[in-house]
Amino acid sequence: MIVTRGLTKRYGKTVAVDALSFTVTSGVVTGFLGPNGSGKSTTMRMVMGLDVPDAGQATVNGLLYDELRWPLREVGALLDAKAFHPGRTARQHLRYLAKSNDIPEARIDEVLDLVGLASVADKRAGKFSLGMGQRLGIAGALLGDPGVLLFDEPVNGLDPEGIRWARHLLRDLAAEGRTVLVSSHLISEMALTAERLVVIGRGTLIAETSVEEFAAQHQAVAVRVVTPTPQLMVSALTKAGVRPTVADDGGIVVTGLASARIGEIAAGSSLTLHELTPIRASLEDAFMELTSDSVEYRSHGREPVAALVPASAAPR
Amino acid sequence: MTIALPLPKTTPAVRGTRAGYRQAVAAEVSKIASLRSTRWIFAITAVGTMLVTFLSTNGAAHHPRGWYSYGWDPTNQSMAGLAIGSLALGVLGVLTISGEYGSGTMRSTLAAVPRRETLFAAKVTVLGLLTLVVGEILSFAAFFFGQAVLSGGVAPYAHLGQPGVLRAVVLTGAFLSLFALLGLGLGFVIRHTAGAIATFAGVTLLAPILLHTLSSDPSKYTPAIIFAQSVSAVVPQTNQVSATIGFVLMLVYVAVALVAGVVLLVKRDA
Repeated sequence: MIVTRGLTKRYGKTVAVDALSFTVTSGVVTGFLGPNGSGKSTTMRMVMGLDVPDAGQATVNGLLYDELRWPLREVGALLDAKAFHPGRTARQHLRYLAKSNDIPEARIDEVLDLVGLASVADKRAGKFSLGMGQRLGIAGALLGDPGVLLFDEPVNGLDPEGIRWARHLLRDLAAEGRTVLVSSHLISEMALTAERLVVIGRGTLIAETSVEEFAAQHQAVAVRVVTPTPQLMVSALTKAGVRPTVADDGGIVVTGLASARIGEIAAGSSLTLHELTPIRASLEDAFMELTSDSVEYRSHGREPVAALVPASAAPR
Repeated sequence: MTIALPLPKTTPAVRGTRAGYRQAVAAEVSKIASLRSTRWIFAITAVGTMLVTFLSTNGAAHHPRGWYSYGWDPTNQSMAGLAIGSLALGVLGVLTISGEYGSGTMRSTLAAVPRRETLFAAKVTVLGLLTLVVGEILSFAAFFFGQAVLSGGVAPYAHLGQPGVLRAVVLTGAFLSLFALLGLGLGFVIRHTAGAIATFAGVTLLAPILLHTLSSDPSKYTPAIIFAQSVSAVVPQTNQVSATIGFVLMLVYVAVALVAGVVLLVKRDA
C-alpha cells in the first residue's frame, strides 16, 4: 500500500506537487494520470525517497522508503528507462542490485527470462533500444519479488507486442495481490490497464476513483438515430420528454434515453429506423475536459475537438 | 510472445535483519568490477607509470653528474611516473560517482540502498581499499623497476632497507588512494563528470603553478607537490613540508572533500 498525505514539493516558486493525498491499495492496477508536468514523476520520486518533500509524506506499507528493511524486496520501481550504466551488461546491472539486498543470483536469470531479455543478458545495456531499456528497468523492479510496484510511463518505447505484454504483466502482478501504481499521460492506455485512477493536474488531486466511475461520471452518453422521417422521430422523442438535436447529416442525437427505449418509441409510432447507435465521448475527451485547467504546456492554434465517436471504437 | 506468467516464485534467503553496510559494500564491489573503465584506468596507469619511471631513471642512470650534487634521491627519482597514477586514480574516484549520476544509475542505486550514509560509507570503503592495494602495487613496482634501471648505470640506487625508503614507498602508495578519495569527494559534491574532473585537475595540476607565483610560495601545500616533493622523498628537500606533515595535510583535504560530499548527498534530491 502506498499512502501520500499532504505531499508537497516546490522548486523555487513553482509548486510541482501541492498537498497531494491519495492511497494506492493492493490487488488492482492503479493508474496515475495527469498531463505532462503535472507532478507524477516528482510524486513517484518522493515515494521512492529520491526527492525529499517540502511538506507531508509518502509511505510504503506504513514506512518511509528509507525505513524499509529490504527495500528492493518490498518495493520495485521503474522510474526512467535509462537508470543503468551503458557500460554494464543487463546481468551486471541486475547483479549489483541483487547484491545490495541479498537477492539470490538465480533470481537474475528468472527476471531476465520474464522480461524477454535472456538472450541479451550479457550485452551492454548502452546498446539497448528504448524498449529493451524499459524491459531491463522492469526486470530491476521485479528482481526482489516486491509487493509494491511503481512504474513511470512503462510502455514508452515498447513496440505493440511489448505494450500488450506490459499490460498483461501489470494486471497479473496486481492479481497476485500486489500494489501496482502506473503513471501515464494517456487515459486510453490506463483504460486498458488500470482499474483505479488517481488523476492529478498541476500537482493537485483532481480525482481518485475507479475507471468505471470515471467513465460514468465524465462521459456524456448519447444515442445516434438515423431515420427516413426525422421530423416525426423528433416529435415522438420530444413527447417522450427529451430534447434531441439534429446533426448536419440528418442524424438525430439523443441524450438521456437508452437506445432500447428509443427503439420502443420508434416502434410505438411505427417509424422506420436505419441506425440506432449508442455513442459517447471518448475517455480522452473526458480526461482533457477534466484537466484542461491544469495543462502546463499547451500547444496553441487548434482547439481540441471533442469528437463524438461510436462507443465500439472508444476504449472500454 | 513473451507473456511469462505467473511470476516465478523465489523466496530470497533473508540473512540478517535488514540490508545494510555489508550488502552495500557487496553491491559497490560488483559495480566497480563490472565497469570496463576501471580496468582501462588501471591498465593505462600501470603502463604509463612504468614508462615514465623508465625514462626518469634511465636518464639519471647514465647522466648522474649534477643530479646527486643536490642530494641525489634515487627513491624519489623512481616515483616520478606515479604522477600519472595520481591523475588516473583521481579520475577513477570522480567517475565512481559522477558516472552514476550521469547515467541515471544513481536512481537505481538509491532505490536499492536508500540510506545514503550507508551508500557513502560503502563507496568510500570499496574505492579506498581497491585504490590502496593498486596504489601500493604501483608504488612498489615503480620503486623496484626504477632501482633496477638505476643499477644498470653509474648513479647510486636505493634499496628498501635504507632509512626512510620503505616509509616513502608505502606512503606514496597510500597517497594514490587519497587522490582517488579526493576525486570521490569532489564527484559527490559536483556530480557532473566534466566539472568534477576539471576541478580535480585544477586542484592537482593548476593550483601548484598558480600558487608558486606568490611570494610565500604556498604551492608546497598542494596535493601534487606534497606527493612529488614530500611524501615520495627520502632525502628531505628544502622549502618543502615533511612527509608526515604533507600526508596529514592530504588527509585533511580528503576529509573536507568527503564530509562535503556526504553532507550534500544526504541533503540534496537525487
